[in-house]
Amino acid sequence: MNNSQKPTARKEGLVIQEMPDEVLVFDLETNKAHCLNETAAFVWKACDGKNSIADITKLFGNQSGTPVQEDLVWLAIDQLNENNLLEAELKADFNGQSRREVIKKIGLAAVIALPIVSSLVAPTAAWAIACSGTVSSCVQNGQNCNAGTPCNPANRCPPGTTGTPTGAQNGTCDGNGFCVAAASTPPPAGCRVP
Amino acid sequence: MSKQIIRNDFIDGRRIKFQAFGVKIGIEAEKTLYLEKIYRLLEKTFPSGFETVAQREIEYRFIIKSNKMDKGERFELFRNDERLIEDAGGEFFFQMVESEVRITVAEFAVSRVFLHAGVVAWRNRAIIIPAKSFSGKSTLVAELVKKGAIYYSDEYAVLDAAGKVQPFPKWLSLRGIIDPYTQLDCSVESIGGIAGTKPIPVGMVLIAQYKKEKKIPKIWKPRRLSGGQAMMEILPHTLPIRNKPKFVLEVLNKLTSRAIIVKTVRGEAKDFADTLLRYFELQTD
Repeated sequence: MNNSQKPTARKEGLVIQEMPDEVLVFDLETNKAHCLNETAAFVWKACDGKNSIADITKLFGNQSGTPVQEDLVWLAIDQLNENNLLEAELKADFNGQSRREVIKKIGLAAVIALPIVSSLVAPTAAWAIACSGTVSSCVQNGQNCNAGTPCNPANRCPPGTTGTPTGAQNGTCDGNGFCVAAASTPPPAGCRVP
Repeated sequence: MSKQIIRNDFIDGRRIKFQAFGVKIGIEAEKTLYLEKIYRLLEKTFPSGFETVAQREIEYRFIIKSNKMDKGERFELFRNDERLIEDAGGEFFFQMVESEVRITVAEFAVSRVFLHAGVVAWRNRAIIIPAKSFSGKSTLVAELVKKGAIYYSDEYAVLDAAGKVQPFPKWLSLRGIIDPYTQLDCSVESIGGIAGTKPIPVGMVLIAQYKKEKKIPKIWKPRRLSGGQAMMEILPHTLPIRNKPKFVLEVLNKLTSRAIIVKTVRGEAKDFADTLLRYFELQTD
């Protein structure tokens, strides 16, 4: 096992938000957010280009007050690498075992939480509100929007269901791609049809 | 500021110009009639009113172009030369324009973070319910308001730099009033509620997934999330995250470090509203 490698945490192009026990990292290049749990955060912070994997393992053991297996650090490195959070790629070395086998082995005996880096792609403003506000992109993407979506039904509702495509302008999609004509019942006081 | 003054100030010939949350907007069209339609929608979206802005200060310039076609009048919408909508017609087009303007304000608001969420206040603390559209957010907000909660928004939680939530009391978008599908915009007063007027601290963020016929147990124990888990649940509903990530993360950190964040599966809003308020009282007393 090559435990003399000295990984360096990437800092460029990242917004880092420290939280109690966790770190939130936002990658400006990919618009991805990564949440590092306590274990992953410790390892990432210890990746200063000077500490080897063996050093990080020792540091973590001292900090947690319990012996730590090197595999645990490699698991963290593996995920940090996968999420482009290290300066240079570092291939995890599990001594011929698969990641799953290592997780199982460590997990059974672990006093310390396994390292976890969870990630998501940050939404554009339009995606953050989904269909109701992204009517133009919904149409472009050919998505079947949900009921009541105020977009151009001529592009979405199949013609000849309960109205023609142009007639559909007087109605709304019902969520199944059908055009429902606007209700003739007048809205109650304090309400209006948008 | 009365709405009449707003209208006279902001519809200037073939142009609307206004400022909301520090975002300076101009909307231009060939006919005043189109602007009147958009104005009527915007005044429901921003019931607290707008601020005036000089023409030279406008940052986001929307232009509506119309063409007469065989199938009727068709419209295009541009924002600063980027085409946002092409070939749309009828009243839906004006709703789309309102929607695009609203998103622009939410994305570029100065010193504010807009979350797509319903918000009510209970005992001077906010409950924020982030959710996608058509997930029952407005219905739950309406039920909470009927139980006596103060209405803050059924669309956006507007967070300031301190992590407090401001009112954004647009008319509620509700279905099921005249038929299951038609969405109506209703004032909060029409459902017997009142709207909040002041920024308040956040007591709870509820990440809830609606599941039909889900029964809530007598002792409801939703899953509590850590700060990091909470951030990952809230970020997908955060409009300006790509535009100003540092500010957003700082504000969300304040929010998640002070409020309780819970995740649950819920059933019908009517049944769930009482359970939620009881739990909130117990946790925040």
